[in-house]
Amino acid sequence: MSDDKLNIEIDGTSLKANPGEMLIAVADKAGIRIPRFCYHNKLSVAANCRMCLVEVEKAPKPLPACATPVMDGMKVFTKSPRAIAAQKATMEFLLINHPLDCPICDQGGECELQDVAMGYGGDISRFSEDKRVVPDKNLGPLIATDMTRCIHCTRCVRFGQELAGVREMGATGRGEHTRIGTYIEQAVDSEMSGNIIDLCPVGALTAKPSRFSARAWELVQSPSIAAHDCMGSNISIHTFRGEVTRVGPRDNENINECWLSDRDRFSYEGLRSDSRLKVPMIRINDEWKETDWDTALEIAAKGIKSAGSDLGILVSSSSTLEEMALARQIADGTETRNIDHRLRQIDFRDQDNAPVFPGLGQKITDLENCDAALLIGSNVSKEQPIAAHRLRKASMRGAKLMFVNSRDFACNLNVEEKIIVSPGKMIHALAGIAKSAMDLAGSSIPGNLQHLFANVDSSDSQLAITGHLKAADSATVIIGSQAQLMPYLAEIRSLAGVIAQATGATLGYLTEGTNTAGACLSGVLPNRDAGGTASRSKGRHAMDMMENGMAACLLVGVEPELDMADATTAVSTLKKTDCVVSLTAYLGDAMKEYANVLLPVTPVSETSGTFINIEGTRQSFTGVTKPLGESRPAWKVLRVLGNLLDLEGFDFNSSEEVRDEVLARIGDVEMNNHVGSDHEVRLPVDMAGLTRIGAVAIYHEDSVVRRATALQATHDALEQGARIHSGLADKLGLGDADKVLVSQGGDRVSVPLVIDDGIPEDCVWLPIGTPAGVNLSSLFASLEMEAD
Amino acid sequence: MARTLKTTFHSLFMIELLKGMRLTGRYLFSKKFTIQYPEQKTPLSPRFRGLHAQRRYPNGEERCIACKLCEAVCPALAITIDVAEREDGSRRTTRYDIDLFKCIFCGFCEEACPVDAIVETRHFEYHFEECGEQIMTKDKLLATGDRLEAQIAADRAADAPYR
Amino acid sequence: MLEFILDLLFVLLKIFAILLPLLLGVAYLTYAERKLIGYMQVRLGPNRVGPKGWLQPIADALKLMMKEIVIPTNADKFLFVIAPMLAIAPSLAAWAVVPFDEGLVLSNIDASLLYVLAMTSLGVYGIIVAGWASNSKYAFLGAMRSAAQIVSYEIAMGFALVGVLMAASSINLHDIVMQQSGGIWHWYWMPLFPLFLVYFISGIAETNRAPFDVAEGESEIVAGFHIEYSGMTFAVFFLAEYANIILISVLTALMFMGGWLSPFQGIPWFEDTFLAKSSIIWFLSKAAFFAFCFLWFRATFPRYRYDQIMRLGWKVFIPITIIWILVLGAVIAARVSYVTLGVWTVGIVAAYLLLNKIATRAGT
Repeated sequence: MSDDKLNIEIDGTSLKANPGEMLIAVADKAGIRIPRFCYHNKLSVAANCRMCLVEVEKAPKPLPACATPVMDGMKVFTKSPRAIAAQKATMEFLLINHPLDCPICDQGGECELQDVAMGYGGDISRFSEDKRVVPDKNLGPLIATDMTRCIHCTRCVRFGQELAGVREMGATGRGEHTRIGTYIEQAVDSEMSGNIIDLCPVGALTAKPSRFSARAWELVQSPSIAAHDCMGSNISIHTFRGEVTRVGPRDNENINECWLSDRDRFSYEGLRSDSRLKVPMIRINDEWKETDWDTALEIAAKGIKSAGSDLGILVSSSSTLEEMALARQIADGTETRNIDHRLRQIDFRDQDNAPVFPGLGQKITDLENCDAALLIGSNVSKEQPIAAHRLRKASMRGAKLMFVNSRDFACNLNVEEKIIVSPGKMIHALAGIAKSAMDLAGSSIPGNLQHLFANVDSSDSQLAITGHLKAADSATVIIGSQAQLMPYLAEIRSLAGVIAQATGATLGYLTEGTNTAGACLSGVLPNRDAGGTASRSKGRHAMDMMENGMAACLLVGVEPELDMADATTAVSTLKKTDCVVSLTAYLGDAMKEYANVLLPVTPVSETSGTFINIEGTRQSFTGVTKPLGESRPAWKVLRVLGNLLDLEGFDFNSSEEVRDEVLARIGDVEMNNHVGSDHEVRLPVDMAGLTRIGAVAIYHEDSVVRRATALQATHDALEQGARIHSGLADKLGLGDADKVLVSQGGDRVSVPLVIDDGIPEDCVWLPIGTPAGVNLSSLFASLEMEAD
Repeated sequence: MARTLKTTFHSLFMIELLKGMRLTGRYLFSKKFTIQYPEQKTPLSPRFRGLHAQRRYPNGEERCIACKLCEAVCPALAITIDVAEREDGSRRTTRYDIDLFKCIFCGFCEEACPVDAIVETRHFEYHFEECGEQIMTKDKLLATGDRLEAQIAADRAADAPYR
Repeated sequence: MLEFILDLLFVLLKIFAILLPLLLGVAYLTYAERKLIGYMQVRLGPNRVGPKGWLQPIADALKLMMKEIVIPTNADKFLFVIAPMLAIAPSLAAWAVVPFDEGLVLSNIDASLLYVLAMTSLGVYGIIVAGWASNSKYAFLGAMRSAAQIVSYEIAMGFALVGVLMAASSINLHDIVMQQSGGIWHWYWMPLFPLFLVYFISGIAETNRAPFDVAEGESEIVAGFHIEYSGMTFAVFFLAEYANIILISVLTALMFMGGWLSPFQGIPWFEDTFLAKSSIIWFLSKAAFFAFCFLWFRATFPRYRYDQIMRLGWKVFIPITIIWILVLGAVIAARVSYVTLGVWTVGIVAAYLLLNKIATRAGT
């Protein structure tokens, strides 16, 4: 190894470097600090700020360290008079047009330009001419701009090109007249756009929601884990006077590198929403009354006790492991097996064959190195932006990304092949891929899947997909979170398993919910115990509970009207339920209709807990702020509830004790997505009329995000209307209608209409989780539509 | 031995004590330095650090830009600032409180201010009659500034050559 | 019966005649103290209330009377309230036997010196009870210090008075004064010079005044025994302290400075003038001088360390007094006149001071 290393010397220190490495990278590794603005180790080299000029022996003039590859025997001086003079000159040049408005700049105190100016800036300006003023751009609700402060490092431009995959920003003009901006006046819509705030070395791009709210030195930074997708991104929560003021990424090369999705970054606004529930409330004769914890818990315990084993427990898949474990323990104690976290799932037929927990089947970093990936029912870039970023890196390298989706999503990945079909035909398409894969592998169709393959002939694109998967050194087949909501999940799972097996690809899942893995492992399932072993008696799953009702229901962090697969059925069932105890951080109007006891619990920033992410990594975090009002961490509430129900084993003093016990119960579980083949399959029924398709809307994914005001103002969040194909619009005579009346299960809702040719012609895209969806029933059911 | 004897006698006859008494006795008759405060006043420096005030620009716009540097530098944590964006997009304080019970009148806030908004005036003759009045709110500070602007400006001008 | 009542009324009248000026004197002693210490510290002292601040003591008294008397929750209420009275009663009672002029005494009892000694010693009970009843650490520490200090200095003081009664062959204050008549050199301060100093200094210590005020010790134990007292209860302690100052000054004047005797007595040129006439004026001015010394000392000397106080009492004052009583005994036995002893004593002291002065001059 040492043979192909080069010997260089920086400031008298001998260092080894890899050929082709840039000087600045070698210096950074050795802890030698060279000032820079445009260089960023995750972005390409631009070498346009000239701040990193260093003196190199035998070079006639100073060289930019970020764009100078190392050469054997190179002698570099970063602090020689010549290097310092060059850096000072650059600094003076950069400061010529930089306004002296640090006191009102949100970057003040954590500004790279400020820091470097302390070391290299002069104290007197020789520039007496007028400074340049640049009009600000409107980049949407998340990013505030002060373009006069821009030093043209182009990090944001390169981020857009290289990482976000959308060339949203760019530089126009030359020299003094250079402007950074969007080419046309438009918002930056990338789901990772917030990262340009971190990248910007000056205060030109700052966070709009936290604009002017606190100075950098006043913030207390606490490590935490992001709670809005299954990746478990590492974050730092910044608090000011005990209130979450902003959220930033925390470096973790195994998960999110130095990036963070906008959803994780800006969702904190939901934490201080006005609809936070601050005191326990009880309903007496349809009157809501605020009360104290003792009374509320007493009534809750009484209601739960009287239900006996006809108790249903629904736990949000974004709850912490501790909350899930305690909910499961209450289920065990009350001898009910009706406990579930799969609130939006419709198809439970193969639940006994499902993996112990739906994992990625590989490390998150492996996504970056795959050569071919087939994603089934997934809009990965909006749903799991961090995973999409890894896949994008792979596709930049030449990996083939392929999709089988029910909508042609606009996305920032280089898509090699895509099959856009309605959910019913998806099985057919997958069967086509599976058939060609088995033909290639020479294996035979598993017995129970036989009749899926009747009349199946592989099309060209299906053959191409198989070819790519087969040809790749490392391939992966991923069942996305939309697929998991489909009514043919069992078939999709089986076929994906067949495809993966036949092509030698890794089968993986991308789930919705933060802690789906934790929920499965801790036994928040009607058919399994902690650790994934099948339980002796089976309970009813979420769908069953909602359809057939129960005597009492315990909701942990669930807003059924938005979180359940079939909102209307859920609400009407709960209204009929004798006692509904809801542990919730938010008070929604719908909840007042059916709940009997509302117990205020805290969202993740105020509680300690653990999340298990999609690759099985267990990450614990602590609360960073005090619980709001009288709300309490849900694990404490469940613990006391356990005591009041006179159950054994509820003597935990800390969430760590709960965690240690549940982890001991889970034991070592290997990630194994092997698909069993002994369950019955059925052919999709052709649906007459229109099929509602959709996904969980990206910024309506959980209670906190729904209430994050800035996120709600983004284009992604505003996309709530019904989307249909232009052909369908013509057929229905809706060509120029703005709004349509949609009805499903008797309810009629007026929604905006959007024409989108990426939707199959027999489908209507109408996402769930949004306020409009409350009065509709479930996805993938038939739906009627008429002009409003 | 002789030394011990000498000290013994020295203290026995209370020589040092008598010396001390002579000193105080002499001062009994010396001229007194007391300044009779309300009638007489000591001269004040332009740098005198008395009651705080917030200044305005000549066009009536408040100077303070809510940079919070004074809050950061305040060693007694006497300053509390809340910031918000004003309708015109400028960064302004929505609350600027100085707790005069905490304030130690060190003048750091004045030093830290990039726009000479917060100043300590020569005015030091004030009192509070009820608890809570010691909080100098933004309105009170601006009012003080408006009232004393002429003197504040003159004091800053007098001190300017030494800054 | 009527005669008895009249007598009683007359006695009461006499008591008032002594007490009223005394209390007024106490009030203005506080004013004098503040003013004098102010002057010695090159400032003016109180000058706002009334002309030149003359009404300051009245204002102080009014203020103290208006203030609330706070009794700590865990204090022994009875003792807490009784303590200031215990403190002031003996210092006022002692005045019963103080002769102001020849024949001008409320009660000319035989053993008036003993009575005075007893009364001055009793004052400490007030302090100890106050310290105990307050149920406060500081108050208790102050009381303990005060008790220890008074026990130590009582002995030296007693011995000093033994010297006086040996010289006067009487323990009646009136007699003691009369024994000193015949001129300034007949006053006992000359023959009993060391005892005079010991008595006066012990008097300062007995009254807990600076530099022996460790019982109050503001900088260590805040205010010592009276930390928990406020309003009138505090005012009574205050009165007792200043009444004691005046009492000690008066006793010193009586026993060592010839009481009401004129200093010009026995000097040929003044013999016939009014200056040589003994009167209460002389007595009061002598007492005033000693009271002034109290204030002067307070303005001059820093507080003694506690162990130094003990050392001074036990290892300096008591030996000095014992030695001088022996010297005095020897002088009496040898029938040498007091005047000779006095001249020698004061002469030696003056000579030493002079020599010392010359030595210092030469040294510098």
